[in-house]
Amino acid sequence: MSPLSVAADLRSSTGIEPILAWRTWALTGHRDGTGLLLRPVAGRSRPWKPMQPVEAACKHARLHAAPNVDCTCGLHGTHELDILRRTRCPAVLGRVALWGRVIEHDLGYRAQYAYPQLAALVCQFCFWQWGSHGSRPDVVGWFARDALMPLCWAHLELAQRYGMEPRRLLQADDVELELRETYTIDPLVRW
Amino acid sequence: MDIGRPKRIIEIDPISLPVPTPEMPSPVTEPVREPAPQPRSPAEPADP
Repeated sequence: MSPLSVAADLRSSTGIEPILAWRTWALTGHRDGTGLLLRPVAGRSRPWKPMQPVEAACKHARLHAAPNVDCTCGLHGTHELDILRRTRCPAVLGRVALWGRVIEHDLGYRAQYAYPQLAALVCQFCFWQWGSHGSRPDVVGWFARDALMPLCWAHLELAQRYGMEPRRLLQADDVELELRETYTIDPLVRW
Repeated sequence: MDIGRPKRIIEIDPISLPVPTPEMPSPVTEPVREPAPQPRSPAEPADP
């Protein structure tokens, strides 16, 4: 720990229950809607493998364990849902369990271990505009590099008008069910 | 995404991990067979 570390000023505590927080993910999968993988929305981080706890690793400096107080590394979750409206290309919204070493911030957490608990597909354009209200998608577009983008009918039309033509369209309900079965998690019914 | 300043460090050692475990295969159940009756020995008295 460096002499300027903020760790010395922080309170510390212990717990036996994982913390639940809000989170968004990007989604990839095969053209038939199988092989689904949740991925961090930022960067080219590794996918979250189904049925395995995800462990944080720091990309900035591999010399410290993640999360580190003086870094931004760790698996992120937020207290409130609305802050996630600023995330880039969210495809899945959900609740995530966090445990191990967890650093609590003003607006969220950075954790050592995580696993999704509840999930729902969201139309990213609806989510950006209206947040928690009515961002249920109708279809999921399959794009290059196996990227999956859930969209409502109106935003599918808009995306196509601007040249974002999915190579294939899948039913959102089918993809969401496959996602829940892949990770053995429950649906996020209300938010 | 900016989540503000750090406030607290929590070390969480959960009693049970919030990760689903693969379902254990159900054990194959075979019908229970009753043991075949043993031949009665000549020295054993017959039932009344």
